[in-house]
Amino acid sequence: MSDAKKIENPTIMSRKLLFLHKIPILKTKKFWDGLKEGKIYATRCRKCGQTYYPPQADCSKCLASDMEYFEVANEGEIVTFVASYLVPQGFENYQIPYIIAIVKTSNELKLMGFVEGIDYKNIKVGMKVKIITKIQSDGFPAIIFIPC
Amino acid sequence: MSRKVAIIGVGNSKFGVRDDALLQEIAFEAVKEALEDAGITQKEIELSVVGSVGTRMYEALPAVPVNEYAGFSGVGPIRVEAACATGSAAVFTAYNAIASGYVDVAIAIGVEKMCEVDTPTSTAVGGRGGNYLWEFHMFGTSFACYYAFYATAHMNKFGTTEEQLAMVAVKNHKYASMNPKAHFQREIKLEDALKSRIICWPLKLYDCCPISDGAAAAILASEDKVKEFRIEDPVWIAGIGYASDTSNIVRRPDYVGLSATVKAANMAYKKAGVEPKDVEVAEVHDCFTIAEIMAYEDLGFCKKGEGGKLIKEGQTYIGGRIPVNVDGGLKAKGHPLGATGVSMIYELTRQLRNEGGKRQVPLKKYIALAHNIGGTGHYGYVTILRR
Repeated sequence: MSDAKKIENPTIMSRKLLFLHKIPILKTKKFWDGLKEGKIYATRCRKCGQTYYPPQADCSKCLASDMEYFEVANEGEIVTFVASYLVPQGFENYQIPYIIAIVKTSNELKLMGFVEGIDYKNIKVGMKVKIITKIQSDGFPAIIFIPC
Repeated sequence: MSRKVAIIGVGNSKFGVRDDALLQEIAFEAVKEALEDAGITQKEIELSVVGSVGTRMYEALPAVPVNEYAGFSGVGPIRVEAACATGSAAVFTAYNAIASGYVDVAIAIGVEKMCEVDTPTSTAVGGRGGNYLWEFHMFGTSFACYYAFYATAHMNKFGTTEEQLAMVAVKNHKYASMNPKAHFQREIKLEDALKSRIICWPLKLYDCCPISDGAAAAILASEDKVKEFRIEDPVWIAGIGYASDTSNIVRRPDYVGLSATVKAANMAYKKAGVEPKDVEVAEVHDCFTIAEIMAYEDLGFCKKGEGGKLIKEGQTYIGGRIPVNVDGGLKAKGHPLGATGVSMIYELTRQLRNEGGKRQVPLKKYIALAHNIGGTGHYGYVTILRR
């Protein structure tokens, strides 16, 4: 990744510029509210039946905008996973390594989430997990997978 | 009917931590070399296409200062972006302008400055190259994470090993050590690669490309101009294929290959009228070692699942069945996002002209392939050249 070489040539600092975005969630508000209540919602198009996770308000397939929410199953199995020792800006308070997995639920949707309660060396592809939600200490919501 | 397009000049700056130069100053190095290589001046260029992702940079509209500093005026620029495949998108844009008959001579410039911000910032900006809201926002997915998802799944399904991943790094460092323009200038040992610290398991430090600055340029021309400039036996663009995949990684069916590679390759092979077995030298997108192994398979250089075996047998070294990344690849030459796709064209053009020096691949058919991925297969470009 980063080359360890120290800055040797003369440089000057740029002006400071901080971005913090206000992200509109009106059209998927039920999902964001659901995370606080321990529920994970996906959407299904009432016109063509296409399902979406992450949820979306408009159907990319038939172009209708008539969706119904349904709950994602609370069990699934690990399709793939990683253990990250990187600390991107904004994740300074997270313990490394953090384990991220993609899980296929019993209702055939795939979700991303953190795996907790197990060392990554003991995780296997195909392992069964329970799916819960959590509000992290920094206030951001998360989806958590707990091995059964 | 589209017109034939030749590559008449190429240039490449030194890749690495370029704290000695500004964005436009490293682009200048590549443009100057390309103009001199073609034997023309700025006056002959009718369109300038600048590929730069730019998300780490303080210069918000990079194409404008790059063009001014290179001495172009009134020839665009068009700025293009296709994540890590930006350079290929720049070449494709310049190619289309000539193939369509709109202009006769165009330059594609790829340039990126990535080392001016700290690593946590760079990791966070790069991580946003997946899908911000549904992935990075909650889970801090870096690019190493995205390719690690593929590595875990590939190892699980096909038995690909950490040692085979490390073999890709060893090969690419070997060739980088023979390429003065590469970021890394030394060979590495297999044991060192295997012992290196974990970045995102199963990927270790030596499985990952560095964060680099760099620029590359390619000048493209119509057949009429090739004659007018009296350029004998140039390299021709035989076909370009492009494809894409979902932004949300959870919406993909599996994590053992990139469908954007397969689709772009099929399109390029068809346009060029060649098959995988005809390719004699390839540049593939090895931002992480697993990416090179998947590319072998998805481009048809071996069967699906046998990429690990191909590197283990040494078939992708010079002298093997299909030499890959003999300039060091992204892995060891460096991966300045916008520059990478154009730098692949630089290397292959020189190979097809037999200017590869110690790294020259022996050629019979003179067919070369560049494979450039944006994101984790969010964009895919395959460009086939022949001479």
